[in-house]
Amino acid sequence: MAKPNKKEWLEPKRKEIMEWMSDERRRTGIGRAVNAYTSAKENALKRLPELEEMRKEVRAIKERSIAEMDELTKITMDSVTEVKGIPYLAKDMCQAHSIFSSIVGEGKLIVKSKSLTSEEILLNEMLEENGNKIFETDLGEFIIQLRHEKPTHVINPSVHVPREEVALTFSKLLGHKVDPDIPGLVNVAREYLREKFCNANIGISGANVVAAKTGTLFIIENEGNARFVSNAPPVHICLTGIEKLVPSLADAFKVVQVLPPYATGVLMAAYVSLITGPSKTADIEKTIVYGAHGPKELHVILLDNGRSAMAKDPIFREALYCLRCGGCMYECPVYQVIGGSFGNNYFGGIGIIWSAFTRGEATVAAAIDACTKCGRCKEVCPLEIDTPKMVEHLKQKLAKKGYIQSQHKKIRESINKNGNPFGIKKGIK
Amino acid sequence: MNGKALYWMGCMSRLKVKSISDSTMKLLRLLQIPFDTLGEEEGCCGSILLRTGQIDDAKRLAIKNLAIIKSRGYDTVVMSCPGCFKTISTEYAQFVGNLPFRVYHISQFLLEKQDALKRNLKPLPVRVVYHDPCHLGRSMGIYEEPRNLIKLIPNIELVEFKQNRSKALCCGSGGGVRSVFPELSTEVAKNTMGGPLNATGAHIIVTSCPFCNFNFKNARMNDVEVIDLPELILRSWGAQ
Repeated sequence: MAKPNKKEWLEPKRKEIMEWMSDERRRTGIGRAVNAYTSAKENALKRLPELEEMRKEVRAIKERSIAEMDELTKITMDSVTEVKGIPYLAKDMCQAHSIFSSIVGEGKLIVKSKSLTSEEILLNEMLEENGNKIFETDLGEFIIQLRHEKPTHVINPSVHVPREEVALTFSKLLGHKVDPDIPGLVNVAREYLREKFCNANIGISGANVVAAKTGTLFIIENEGNARFVSNAPPVHICLTGIEKLVPSLADAFKVVQVLPPYATGVLMAAYVSLITGPSKTADIEKTIVYGAHGPKELHVILLDNGRSAMAKDPIFREALYCLRCGGCMYECPVYQVIGGSFGNNYFGGIGIIWSAFTRGEATVAAAIDACTKCGRCKEVCPLEIDTPKMVEHLKQKLAKKGYIQSQHKKIRESINKNGNPFGIKKGIK
Repeated sequence: MNGKALYWMGCMSRLKVKSISDSTMKLLRLLQIPFDTLGEEEGCCGSILLRTGQIDDAKRLAIKNLAIIKSRGYDTVVMSCPGCFKTISTEYAQFVGNLPFRVYHISQFLLEKQDALKRNLKPLPVRVVYHDPCHLGRSMGIYEEPRNLIKLIPNIELVEFKQNRSKALCCGSGGGVRSVFPELSTEVAKNTMGGPLNATGAHIIVTSCPFCNFNFKNARMNDVEVIDLPELILRSWGAQ
């Protein structure tokens, strides 16, 4: 096996980390978000003491669901078919791309709601290459799409962009000056995107949880854009990872109750959409017609892309329990400083594990060494996922493959030679 | 059994922040506790190797260190460093089975001597804030012993960071981050010491970890003194 090249795995990431650290603008954005999040969550958890019990139930649901992931995938495919949706199972990014290509084709207007899973498979890039026009409609995603940046948080993808920068971006979009007033900025997006929802050929969304038995997709959101995306265009495509499948509606509702307070500090998200098959009516002579007011077609793409491999590993399996609330990122002392550079396509300690399985271990071989192993992520996780243990385990795997920092190698050599990590020779006081 | 305790200094207190090992040994002597150190024979516990993925070397150290401690017949091993404490008491046990001696963090050990301490500690009217080291708190569940120890000091005012105990922030030096990303490590230390500390109004941070101690001092926040638990106790003893 060839020795990993530092110019590839280490140096670009080091540069990215240093850029994040020295960027006051991004640090301001994250700092404001962290403060707002922590106080909102504290309040929500105080008002909902029942969450203490419920998050344990959700952990048990996830443990069971991941153990039966293959079976739940089959059940979901059948139940989606039964309600006249069209299910697909994509083994990897390549398969997902060809499924999307066959449904979407070329030259379409597409509206999208937030989906880190679509970012995982570089969906926008592929669709644009095929000559489609895509509008991200989640405000955060819209902002970073306009800025040609990458998302930096699973729930709040533009967490690193403060209001002043958003105003500059929107000024450029509209061709006139926009003030850095937050409600005004939100209104810009609202006005701009309204007609896109109505004119789009296709809406693409993710799902936060899926009830396998009924084939029901749950989409949790606050903005209301995912409702438009999944309802206004004639075709709705939902892309979701197979780890999102739980057996029943009752299980899914438990997840729905736990996720919002930990994700954004609200007691409940403004909107939860439950979608079971395409829109239909039988109001004329009891004859079923698909596509009444909602989409005529519903395509459900279930994505594996490393998840089955994760499920088979007794240590990394736990990463699949993650609900993607993103709380551990806000609470991570390292994320607070280096934000989106702490990971690859997913962020924070848990994101290191997810990135390793979905994009390859090498993509996080350098970022993993920014983790102080402080263990706060496990402490604040509603499911108490042992991320520090997984990070340490992944680090061992990487080290064995030669992904090791020269400083850490020197420490080992000094320990073996001098009995201490500092390179201080014996006998010197 | 040789009847003495072994004070395992740890590399950081032994070589970089000697005020920690010096004050600890001074305090143990004042308390008339018979103890030895391994001196230069004390090697690395392996913690940093485990955090940086070099597990095979760490296992070798575990076997070597255990053999030395066992051959000298110590039944009590006391440590300043939560890294050594976690590694030796939990991870060594995973590698080699049950340990033939009892492992204490200095905060636990000193609290057992609280009667003697109470007889000797004099009023120290200062406001201090205690920082929970990650490896001592979240990893080993030791939150109250250091606080109870501080509270033995008459007239001291112990205040808390907004985020404390299991939610305590990190000093930024763990996991081998200090050696690879020193700037990041220092920024994390500043964040931890900064905002929340101002809210407490304390100008003294008490830690019970040599790595936190080193990293906080290195972050050079104005008007903030960083000291280790035994150093604080010595001050109240009037012996420093």
